[in-house]
Amino acid sequence: MKRLLLLLASAAALWTAACNGGGGTVVPPPPPPGPFGLNSLNGTYAFVTNGEVFNGAAVTPLARVGSFTANGTGGITGGVEDVNSAGATGLATPITGGSYTVTGDGRGTLTLNLNSPGGATSINFAIVLTSNTDGLMIDETSTNTQTSTGSGNFVLQTGGPFTVASASGPYVFDFSGLDGTGAPDSIVGEFNASGGVITAGVQDENDNGNIPATPTPVSFTGVLAADPLDPNGAADLSNFGRGIATLNGINYVFYLVGGNRIRFLSTTGGEMLAGDAVAQNNTIPANTAALNTSFVLIVSGSSGAGGVTRVGRFTAHGASVTNVILDTNNAGVFHLTGGTGGGGAVTGASISLDAVNPGRGVVTFKDPTLAVPFTFVFYLSSASNGVIQDVSQGNQGATDVADGSLAAQTSGPFSSTNIAGTYALNWSGLSVQNGVADEEDFVGQATISNLGLTGAADTFQFQNGIVTDLVVGGSITAGGDGTGSGGARNTMSVKLTKNGSSTVNFVVYVANPGLAFFANNQGATRVVAGILKLQQ
Amino acid sequence: MKPTTQKRIAALMFLSALALCLPAAAQQSAPIAQRLQSYDLSREVFLVGSVVKFDPASATPPIGAHVLLQTSSGQVDVHIGNAQLLKANHFELNPGDNVRIVGESLASGDTAIFAARIVQKGARAVVLRNTKGFLLTAASTLSQDQKDALRGVR
Repeated sequence: MKRLLLLLASAAALWTAACNGGGGTVVPPPPPPGPFGLNSLNGTYAFVTNGEVFNGAAVTPLARVGSFTANGTGGITGGVEDVNSAGATGLATPITGGSYTVTGDGRGTLTLNLNSPGGATSINFAIVLTSNTDGLMIDETSTNTQTSTGSGNFVLQTGGPFTVASASGPYVFDFSGLDGTGAPDSIVGEFNASGGVITAGVQDENDNGNIPATPTPVSFTGVLAADPLDPNGAADLSNFGRGIATLNGINYVFYLVGGNRIRFLSTTGGEMLAGDAVAQNNTIPANTAALNTSFVLIVSGSSGAGGVTRVGRFTAHGASVTNVILDTNNAGVFHLTGGTGGGGAVTGASISLDAVNPGRGVVTFKDPTLAVPFTFVFYLSSASNGVIQDVSQGNQGATDVADGSLAAQTSGPFSSTNIAGTYALNWSGLSVQNGVADEEDFVGQATISNLGLTGAADTFQFQNGIVTDLVVGGSITAGGDGTGSGGARNTMSVKLTKNGSSTVNFVVYVANPGLAFFANNQGATRVVAGILKLQQ
Repeated sequence: MKPTTQKRIAALMFLSALALCLPAAAQQSAPIAQRLQSYDLSREVFLVGSVVKFDPASATPPIGAHVLLQTSSGQVDVHIGNAQLLKANHFELNPGDNVRIVGESLASGDTAIFAARIVQKGARAVVLRNTKGFLLTAASTLSQDQKDALRGVR
């Protein structure tokens, strides 16, 4: 999850927990059957994680972006990585080797060896493949110099050798993290790239709750280039797609996944901003009248109470918006807007698309029990996908700083017939473990059959340590996709077992049988959100 | 926190004494229509009282650290948020401690909590939230040496 849920842990307890590993002595089960193996990870992959790190002094936010090459037989043959911890950067660190495992269910481990200025070290991840070209991951590093966690993903890089001209055409982006003062920051927008020159950039920023009275985009330009300060700058650009960028005056390092995706991490000014730019195609609706789509949405970030998640759905017919449901978890306080059991029918629901900024729009609706309407800015990268930012206006700026994803809801109704198969899961956020609230990251795999879940997973919460090979059970209750007159939605219960068990309850908004967004809707000691993705 | 900063905060808190001291009304149910709101400096007040209980990870929302404070008007549940921030500042809250807390009442579900922005005990104060109400992290307490050390993070 995007990474703004930043209540931090007891440093001493963290170090102890991390070093202990917290895993217990249960003998792991035999490798599960499935189509994946070492040769499923073969090629060069761009990765990103967002989380936090403890380096012996304090727990601080941490964002990683990089590229590694897997040889298809369990070896890592090279790569490069950049990190930003609360504005302090470590740039262009060579990945000199490493190893990985993949079991039949797509789960595995990844170790990247680094040649860093302070000496050789390594970073570790738990992974689950969603296909042979991408997967989900959590940081499970616990060495004598640092302990870090975080959630992210990796995507096969294609189209190399890369040049700055590999980025071409319009892109939609979502960067989030911290501004130079350490306050939460979210930037969504779009730009056009051609030959390393960025033009026609527009963005909406929610920096520390400071937003315009009405959502108004700001124009910008920028550049993409090879990194002159990277001793391997030319090779890193060609082989790993790594270069530097300036967008609206902020400096970044970028990694070209291919022509359709670029990963960014800020490098100067004390900011810690990270995110992807995704190519925008020509299927986006030309105007509001052309909208005729149901969407699910998920945003996460910071509120005055702590971490906040909002997950929900709506249907757009032209400027009209119907069937709005939104589940909010505001630091352990749950609220349902619309839907069965909500505070009443929403009012004033509408959506609009910009005439001059392709794919940019605003959706708003009013919950009768809340003082001000919800308002979101979005940028569509296609007719069915986009990024979205919460710009709900309180009395003194935005009510929170949160952003996330928007996806078309198709192929419903959802039931045991079409929600079936093997899925990768990842969630991230905040939980209380052993008396301390801290970041929690989870990655796993589950087979869904007759809406029952069976699988395995890893979690890392500093106070609880790294817990590997948790047994995953549970079930999905198919309440509805939200379009019915009753406004019912789906729920999911996930039971985690290893030396004891715990159950986490979620609301689930299914975009299509291959993708769902979820967030916990019970329990005052957890604020997490995540995705469920069908393995291909 | 630098001593000068602490003094400045203490001075601001003293001047704030001219403002209203929040009674136990902070515990009263919030009007329903206030549930989606942002922090507003103009609404800030301060509480004076003694610590009844400090819980670094309360089971009562909002998630995070809470202080139950005995004021002259009754007990108030104060949301501190990030217990790690207090620890990083070597700042403890123990039963019986007399404290002043600057903050404001925010809706939280069907009730309200007092969101603390600054907590002061004796001559020492710790800033918990920024002026927009967002919780600070321990990163805000790092010395320059500690910030430099973060450049070694991989």
